[in-house]
Amino acid sequence: MFKELDPILHSQLRLAVMSLLIAVKEADFTYIREKTNSTAGNLSVQVQKLKEAGYIDVIKQFKDNYPQTTCKITPKGIEAFEEYVKALQQYLQAGKEG
Amino acid sequence: MEDQKPLTEQESLELITKMIHKAKNGFHESGTSAILWGTVVGIAGLVSFSEIQWNFSIGFDIWLITLIAIIPQIVISIRQARQRKVVKYEESSVNAIWLVFGISIFALSFYNNVIPGISDKFFASDGFELLIKNTKTGESKHFVPYILSASSLFLLLYGMPTLATGIATKFRPMIIGGILCYIYFLISCYTPSKYDLLLNGIAGITNWLIPGLILRKCYLKDRKENV
Repeated sequence: MFKELDPILHSQLRLAVMSLLIAVKEADFTYIREKTNSTAGNLSVQVQKLKEAGYIDVIKQFKDNYPQTTCKITPKGIEAFEEYVKALQQYLQAGKEG
Repeated sequence: MEDQKPLTEQESLELITKMIHKAKNGFHESGTSAILWGTVVGIAGLVSFSEIQWNFSIGFDIWLITLIAIIPQIVISIRQARQRKVVKYEESSVNAIWLVFGISIFALSFYNNVIPGISDKFFASDGFELLIKNTKTGESKHFVPYILSASSLFLLLYGMPTLATGIATKFRPMIIGGILCYIYFLISCYTPSKYDLLLNGIAGITNWLIPGLILRKCYLKDRKENV
């Protein structure tokens, strides 16, 4: 029985953001934008979706009078990411066997 | 990167691998702290060795520059914290290691300064006096105990955070520096104190200055590529 791929994660930009955040403790919005080559508007929408799903924490604060947004993966996000990778592996394994 | 494009399973896996690789490899420390401490310890070690070797004095204890270097270090740390866009997991551990190292260095300096006098008092309160005898003249005089080969202990301490950082961050120049430091420690156990000071200076250069300069080069290259 195949697990369904999490629709929140099965999208290019959201998956890229989660893959970045799984590898680091926390990252600035501008860092994520640079690494994903995305636009600020699009990234902002996708970050909001990940936040609403409880997969990431978004901390907004002021640093030297400038607004700064920091993103951090949550335990729920780590669990969802691991489940997603397991499901992917199942699909790929089945593809090889079939 | 667009969000609308549908992903195949293979593409998803490739994207995950690519992004994790970017996060793991696309960042280097500026190396400023390593260059600062490598220079300071290198100069202090070489100058104190030269003072004994060529019998001159610069008029103050050169190792005091390690205290002065704390000021630029604080400035560097604050500036780096402000500019930091990403915090890696290993960074927190590495920072903790260096903080503990800093405390340990001052604790060891304190130990080296305090123990001789305290030991002398303890011997006296127990009714003992340590004497040192000149075997040629037969003359004996009061002897205040001191920490033998104290510089070797510093070398031992320098090696620990350097090797741990090198292993944690997979940064070969620091792994080599850390291993060299343990070799210097072993050598210093068999050499007179002035050479231990020389080894301290060399350790500063191989542990921190050279790896720091390599880090700096990688950092500047990264910055150039990301502009």
